[in-house]
Amino acid sequence: MNLCLPAVFLPLLAAPAIGAFGTRAQGAIANVVMNVIVFGLTIGVCFEPGSGLIHADDLGMIFGVLTGFVGLTTALSNISFVWSGNEVLSLRRWRVYHAMCQVVLGSTLLGLYADNIGLLWVAVEGATIAATLGVSLPRTASALEAAWKYFILGGVGIALALFGTMLVYLAAQPALGPGLPAMSFLALTQHVTKLDGSLLTLAFVFLLFGYGTKAALVPLHGWLPDAYAEGPLPLTTALSTLMLNVALIAILRFRHLMQANFEGGGGALQPGAFLLTLGLASLLLTAFSLSRRRDARRFFGFSSIEHSGIAVFAFGVGGAAAIFGGLLHMLVHTLLKSALFQALMRGAALRGSAAPGNYGFSHLRGMIHSNKYIGWLLGGCVFALTGLPPSGLFASEFIIVSQTIQRDPYVSLPLGLGLVLCAVAIIRNVGPLVFGHAPPHTKHQKSGIGANLISLHLVLAFGIAFTMPWFLLHLLSTVAGALQ
Amino acid sequence: MNLVYPLAHLMGGVILLCAFSMLSQRRLSAMITLYQVQALTLSAAAFWQGFAQGAGDLYLTGLITLVIKAILLPIGMRQIVQRFSMIRAVETTMPIGLSMILGVGLIGIAVLVVLPTTVSAVSLTREDLAISLSVVLLGLLVMTVRRHAIAQVIGFLSTENGLVLAATGMPGMPFVAELSVALLVLLAFLVVGVFLFRIREHFDTLDLVGIEEIERRGR
Repeated sequence: MNLCLPAVFLPLLAAPAIGAFGTRAQGAIANVVMNVIVFGLTIGVCFEPGSGLIHADDLGMIFGVLTGFVGLTTALSNISFVWSGNEVLSLRRWRVYHAMCQVVLGSTLLGLYADNIGLLWVAVEGATIAATLGVSLPRTASALEAAWKYFILGGVGIALALFGTMLVYLAAQPALGPGLPAMSFLALTQHVTKLDGSLLTLAFVFLLFGYGTKAALVPLHGWLPDAYAEGPLPLTTALSTLMLNVALIAILRFRHLMQANFEGGGGALQPGAFLLTLGLASLLLTAFSLSRRRDARRFFGFSSIEHSGIAVFAFGVGGAAAIFGGLLHMLVHTLLKSALFQALMRGAALRGSAAPGNYGFSHLRGMIHSNKYIGWLLGGCVFALTGLPPSGLFASEFIIVSQTIQRDPYVSLPLGLGLVLCAVAIIRNVGPLVFGHAPPHTKHQKSGIGANLISLHLVLAFGIAFTMPWFLLHLLSTVAGALQ
Repeated sequence: MNLVYPLAHLMGGVILLCAFSMLSQRRLSAMITLYQVQALTLSAAAFWQGFAQGAGDLYLTGLITLVIKAILLPIGMRQIVQRFSMIRAVETTMPIGLSMILGVGLIGIAVLVVLPTTVSAVSLTREDLAISLSVVLLGLLVMTVRRHAIAQVIGFLSTENGLVLAATGMPGMPFVAELSVALLVLLAFLVVGVFLFRIREHFDTLDLVGIEEIERRGR
């Protein structure tokens, strides 16, 4: 039995029901129930990967489980977000919000499991629409501005990606014949040297800019900081981080087609230079824009751009080890970033309200005076994002840097500069945020039991990077070897 | 005489011409009319390709295009324009002459990029692809040079038309793409419709100058 199908379609089918009935508390509980089921299914997929149009390859399995896990913890912390009642929405909007959470979850899984470039595109499109609706929910002027920006930029990206998808089909069609095989990653990979190289190159440019928009690579990143800063936090930040992975994996798979075609003499250009340029641009732009941000959600939105850039850079360096580093980076970053946003949400709730606009660094400073546990967790998450040891990101960044020195020594200089500048900009905020003077009238409050989820994320991120279980190591190495 | 090539090229040319004239129109109602003509031609092109390739899928694509894009969407947009009395000329960010020169340049780029890379493909597909890439790029240009929300949406819809034109020209492409494009337009319109009303509530105007507000407030 193909467990991928229920994992993808249960949330998508549940969304209309959640959107139509129930109070906001029932919506939150239904959200958790669905996420528990989906998490179970994503684990089941590892044993029953299935076959056909929607099935899980090794890469899909790993990131599917990650998506299920992060979705579940987000849904659990969403309960306290809903209960606190800080975000003032009407009942109808709460229903839409919970429905959109399910749509984003289902589309993300579809994007990971689809073995068809058309379905992958549909998944990215669906998630974009759902996320845009989520951003616009509070209906404040700034939320609408952010949603409009997201919609226009995302729409353009989606259009470019569709054009690229059609060009890939056109490149494959003479070799694989008309019909579905010319759109399947499996068949494309098997016959990669027979594809038309120059068409594939043209397609890759469109796909890179299309999915690059969703992965928020500079110069297509404009929507991300605004979208992260607005809308209900669990949907627009924690779940959206999962979508970045889908876009990055799409870029990785198409890069592999190009590279294999180039090596097999098919006439495609080498994709490395494109990816290195975009990756470095993202890293350096973030390095110089981080220090001026005063809103925490926007700040860490920029940090997501940085980490997308690092992953794409790693894919551009090429070779099994660098791609292993890039994938590890994506895994650890997803865990850390969702933990961070959960910590921010709890921190902001301790300071009065978790609605957008209450995430200024000046408003959140001295978190340890509100609650010691949350304060330390927040500090831990922020510190971990710098990539300094003992953060899990240290391991992946170390692999990427050493591979760069080995393969492309010159680009390691701007890479190192960017990494250091970003780390400095982030670490400057740890002290004031955790230990600084709290705003007047701050009282010590209790943290909920849900704060333990953040610790769980941190422990997992550490564990995956430094004591990776053998089966995961085996899977990741196989994937990286196959996609080099 | 074989009519497949001349007719397909003629319709592609009309679609391109509509996309290009959108750049020169100052009034929203004229842009909507142009879009309508473009969508009508597109549905005719889809029917023609379906007939020429003997593919039933393409008839469905043509039907969807005809009903949703050529009839329903323009009616909806006209209503929005009337309801908010936005009949006046809309602002552009650059002189119209300049944007048309840029448009010609983009068409040139599209042709120069597509024709040499697709030497191996069937010739109908090659030229279709060059035309549709031009339409896509022109649509994006419309989105950049217009400040008005509805004008940007029309640019976006024109881009979508270019994509569907490309999809209809692909020999034997599975239906996935067409269906999803149609779906996208429908959903996009829903989303946009919601936006437009709310933007209206909050900004009093559909002019997107207010979008710079985030910048001013300091991030």
